[in-house]
Order: sequence, then C-alpha cells, then structure tokens
Amino acid sequence: MDFAWLTQSLLNGLSIGSVYAVFALGYTLVFSILGIINFAHGAVFTLGAYLTYALTVGRFGINGLLAGVSLPVTLPFFPALLVGALLSGLAGLAVEQLAFRPLRRRGADPLLALVSSLGVALIVVNCIQYLVGAEIYSFPANIFGDLPMAVIFSVGGRPVAVRTVQVILFAACLVMLAGLWWGINRTRTGKALLATAENADTARLLGIGVNHFIRGTFFLSGLLGGLSGTLIGASFGLSGPYFGVAYGLKGLAVMVLGGLGSIPGAVVGGFVIGLGEAFLPADMSSYKEAVAFVLLFAILLIRPQGLLGGSLEQKV
Amino acid sequence: MKALALALSLLVCAVAPARAQPVATPIPIGIAVAQTSNVALFGQEQVNGAKVAEARINAAGGINGTKIALAFQDTGGDEAGAVNAFQNLINRDKVVAIIGPTLSQQAFAADPLANQAKVPVVAPSNTAKGIPQIGPFVSRVSAPMTQVAPHSLRQALKLTPDIRRVAVLYAQNDAFSASETEVFQQAVKDLGLETVTVQKFQTTDTDFTTQVTTVLAAKADLVVISGLAADSGNLVKQLRQLGYKGQIVGGNGLNSPNMFPVCGALCADTLVAQAYSPAAVEHNPVNKAFVEAFRQAYQKAPAQFSAQAYAAVQVVAEALAKVERDSGKKITSFELPQLREAVNAALRTGPTLTPIGEIAILPSGEIEQKDFYVSRIVMQPDGATGAFVLVTE
Repeated sequence: MDFAWLTQSLLNGLSIGSVYAVFALGYTLVFSILGIINFAHGAVFTLGAYLTYALTVGRFGINGLLAGVSLPVTLPFFPALLVGALLSGLAGLAVEQLAFRPLRRRGADPLLALVSSLGVALIVVNCIQYLVGAEIYSFPANIFGDLPMAVIFSVGGRPVAVRTVQVILFAACLVMLAGLWWGINRTRTGKALLATAENADTARLLGIGVNHFIRGTFFLSGLLGGLSGTLIGASFGLSGPYFGVAYGLKGLAVMVLGGLGSIPGAVVGGFVIGLGEAFLPADMSSYKEAVAFVLLFAILLIRPQGLLGGSLEQKV
Repeated sequence: MKALALALSLLVCAVAPARAQPVATPIPIGIAVAQTSNVALFGQEQVNGAKVAEARINAAGGINGTKIALAFQDTGGDEAGAVNAFQNLINRDKVVAIIGPTLSQQAFAADPLANQAKVPVVAPSNTAKGIPQIGPFVSRVSAPMTQVAPHSLRQALKLTPDIRRVAVLYAQNDAFSASETEVFQQAVKDLGLETVTVQKFQTTDTDFTTQVTTVLAAKADLVVISGLAADSGNLVKQLRQLGYKGQIVGGNGLNSPNMFPVCGALCADTLVAQAYSPAAVEHNPVNKAFVEAFRQAYQKAPAQFSAQAYAAVQVVAEALAKVERDSGKKITSFELPQLREAVNAALRTGPTLTPIGEIAILPSGEIEQKDFYVSRIVMQPDGATGAFVLVTE
C-alpha cells in the first residue's frame, strides 16, 4: 500500500471536493425551493471571479470595452472577495427576476424556466467577454499574503506536497458550509426557508412570505456561486469568460449525485466527486472530468434519488 | 404550369452569364476568426495583428495608392460559425481573399466553400495535416510546428547537461498538442534520455496536482509540456509551487504572452519552442517595425497568432500589388472573380520577408518557413510582465 499516494490523493480530493460542494449548494438551494435547476449558476460563478478580480486589481487588458480602463480605487483581496460575493448575490437575484419570476407568474412549465436560465447564462458570459475580452487574467501572486507556496512532508519516506492555496480553499469552504448549516438550521429565517422548500403553499398559509424567501434563496445561491468562483479564480487564474462552464456541469453532477434538493447531499456529493477524481490513477488523470458522470450514472442506477435524496415524487 | 415556369426561370438563371462584379474600393480583404467563444483568446490576437497590418499597409499607400479595408467576421469557435462567416465574406462583403479561420477543424468545414467559389483563403493558424490539400484556393502561413521541438530539447541539454529523466505532459484534447508530443517523445528517445512518465491533461483543466505529484514522485529532471497557454501556464505554476526545480521545456502552445499572467514570476526560465519570436528583429526589419507598431497599439509584445495574422494580410497585399504590377492595370478595374484567381496565383510566387521570417507559399499552398526559434522566458520584477528572450543554439 502506497501511503504517500493515498495521503496525497486524499488531500487533493478534499480540497477540490470542498469547492464542488459549495458551488453545488447554490444549485441545490434553488432546486429545493422551486424544484428547477438554475443553469445560470455557472455564469454567476464566473461573474463572481471577474468582479473580485476587478475590485482587487482594478485594471483590464487590451481587449473588450473596458480595455485600458482603471478603477479609481482597489480593495485588498478579502474585502474584495466579500463585495464580489455580495454583488454575485445581487446577480443571482437578477437572474430570478429575469429568468424565473415572469414565467412563474404565468404558471409556465418549469422546463421553460430551465431554458430561460440557460439563455441568461449565455448572455452573462458573452457580456463578460464583451467587456473584458477573452484574455487570461490572474490574481497577483501574493494574493494570500506572504504565505509559503506549499507544504511538503514525508509519508513512508516519500514526499507529499500540499499547495497553500489548497489548504485555503478547504478551510474557506468549511467555514462557508458551517455558516450555511448554522443559518439554515439554527435561525428563524433558515427554518422559514426550510418550510418554504418543504411546501410553498403550506408555508404561505403559515404567513411566510414565499416570494421573499425565493428572492433570498437566489441571493444566497448567487453569493455561494460567486464565492466559489473567486476561490477557484484566485487559485488557478481566470482562463476566460467560459471558465465556469466545466464547473457548472460538475456542480450539476454533484447535486444529482448527492440527491436533488438535499443540502447535506450536495456536500457529500462534492466530496465524493472530488475524492473520486483525486484517486484516479495519474496516467488516467485527463479522464477525471468523466469521473463525475460515471459516478452519476452508477448512483442513478443503484439509487435514483441520489446518495442522500428523498423521494423523487416530491419534486420531479 | 407553375412548376414548368419555375424550372425554366431556374434554367435561365443557371445559363445566364454571371453579372459583372467590380472590385470595391477600398479593396476588401476578409478576416474570419474567432472573436467570441472559448477560442476568442487566439482570435483576438489575430484581429490585433491584422489591424496593425492594415494600418501599416494603408499608411504606406495601400496597393499603389488604393487602400485596403479588412472586413471582419466572427466565426465563433465552431464549424457552423466559420461557414456562416465565409458565406458573408464571399457573397455580401465580396472580398478578394479570406484570412482565417482560427481552428483547423473550422477550416475543414469552411474552406471548401471558398474553394468552390474560387476565393483564395490564407490560413493564419491552421497547423493540421491536410489544410492546403482542401483545394487549390487554400494556402497557409502557419507552419506545421512539429519541426521545432527537437531544437528546444537540445537547448535544454546544453544548459543542463546532466538531464536524464524526462516527464512528458500533454493536452490530449488538443490535436496540435497531441501531435507535437509525439515529436517531443521521439526527440527524447533520439537524445538517449529516459521517459519516466507520460501524463495527459485537458486544455480546460486548472488543477494539475495529480500530474505534478506524479512528476515529483518520478524524480524527473526535465519536464516537457505540450498544451495551450492557460493550461500550460497553470501547470508550470503548480510544478514550481510544489517544488519542482528542474528544467521545463514547452511546445508552441506556450509561445504566447498569455502565459505570463497565469504563472507570473514562476514562468521564469521555461524554454519555449517558437515559430515566431518578437525578439528576432536583428535581421528582420519587417518584424522590428511590426513589434514597434504592435507595442504602440497594445502596450505589449505581439504573440505568434498576431504575427501570423499580420503575415497573412501582408502576403495578400503583396499578391494584390503583384497582380497590378504584372497586369499593368489597376486592381479596381478587375472583375472580382478574375481578380480572386489572379491573387491566388500571385500568392504562390516567391519568398516574402514577414514578421515570422522569410516565408514562401509553395504551389501546393503549403508554407515554407526558414526560421524557428527557442526562447527562455524572462519575467520582470513585478512578476506580471515578461518576455521571450532568444536563446542561440
């Protein structure tokens, strides 16, 4: 047994899995309330990263409408991260107003909302490209301060390496997950949210402002999407306006794997897929994108409602 | 009866001589590249290079006094977009030639249309096998880059003679990278080095921890990468962050300033195989002028895609000038179909000094390029900007 390899893979999987979990939670929250998938979530992920980049660096490249523009003020990374996340939350709210609310008002088929959210996603991504071009943007190398780049230790005489950014990703995601768990399970607002998710009509009869909670959910979903986008962007760079597409698909797989609409399921799904990818033999690592979907097919065959999902009849 | 009338009118249309199509002024040259989609990163570089060429050619008097005007069409990143762009340029903008598309797979879909319409196509970045073979109206200024790989490996050995163990990494979903790595792997064998691991990745990947830790465990002292700028930049960054100290050699995909913001200061000392170098100006006044004009316009050194797009516009402009010179009549007095054929023939005559060095388009449409380069990445102290500094063998 190669313990060094096991340790390395475990650490790699926990780091990336935590990001998948947070990102998929954004999908899950919306699904748990409305019973539909918000395909614009990947675009909000991308938007969050670009917003934080703009707030941190304050200048743009040579292409796009904002070429050569410099912002009058910039923020340190962590305040910029929070502002970027709040703005992403507002973007999530805008998605609800544009893509979901008008259709919901008319009692349209949920499938139409899915298509309209896909349309909003394409518009957002293309707007980003129109404004800042398709160039690669990278946060400054010292974005996390003067921390060492990596920690290298020995397991069974072989080196195991963990990049500092992986530790930051994992820690930040744990904090977000804990905060979300506390907010939903320990506050009145969270309980009202759960009641709305369980049955909107009953919640309405109990005096809960359902529309208010739907808006709140989209805000929270956008906030989580923007935060995860920024964390990934700061770790690996922004490789263009389309860099959220792959994460969007992966987040979808995580949500279905964990169980549609299940918040603990999204967390478990994120870690399962992250670890599944990490434990793929190195020679096959280029196929790691397929891992999420192979796991997904497998779980759909064995347990169609997902790892921690409830009865499918409620939502689908 | 109606059907008969329709058939007759179609027959009349078919046999009637084509309506005269004069050449517009300024002379329209089509640029069909990806300005949107995930290929836009390259397409934007091509647009920038082409615009510099247009400005310089017109400032120098155009084609003996007649200016050129580039007609831009966005192909997006797929075949349908390229076909649509080509159709617009041929039928609506009535261009004398088309430069594009960005990707080889787009060329295989769109070039046959231009070939059928007898419109010359000059590919600025299609490196796949079989591009000039699409038809007699298709040529390219983008050399199959596989020739350059062995040079960079020899250079790495010269700088670090005790290199023995080589790790090879390549983007398996990119046709060019997959083809380039074969040449690299053969060169590794030919140089008597040991390949200790071959790792694959995708151009869309951002997290390379698995590959990097495998390279570290294999104790490689040379890493050879074939990929594109964004993924390879991230790979270089993560290799260095996780403590890899050995030499890194990159293929042509790393030959882009877009690498610099991705790996920052950690890009330093990577050796890169190049079909174009903005530093190769000593014996190339065309490149010197191009680099200066590009820097003035965009405040950075041009990438290979920009230089190849410039070269494509330049060879078309020179073909137009040759047609005018040889025929003794103004370009604008030609009929469009006649001019398109004449330009296609003129493209394939003799060498031209371009920013990418002296090139000639052979009668087959294939490029003959004289110079290839190996450069070392040198980063500025700010860690955000850098340069490819030529390394002499």
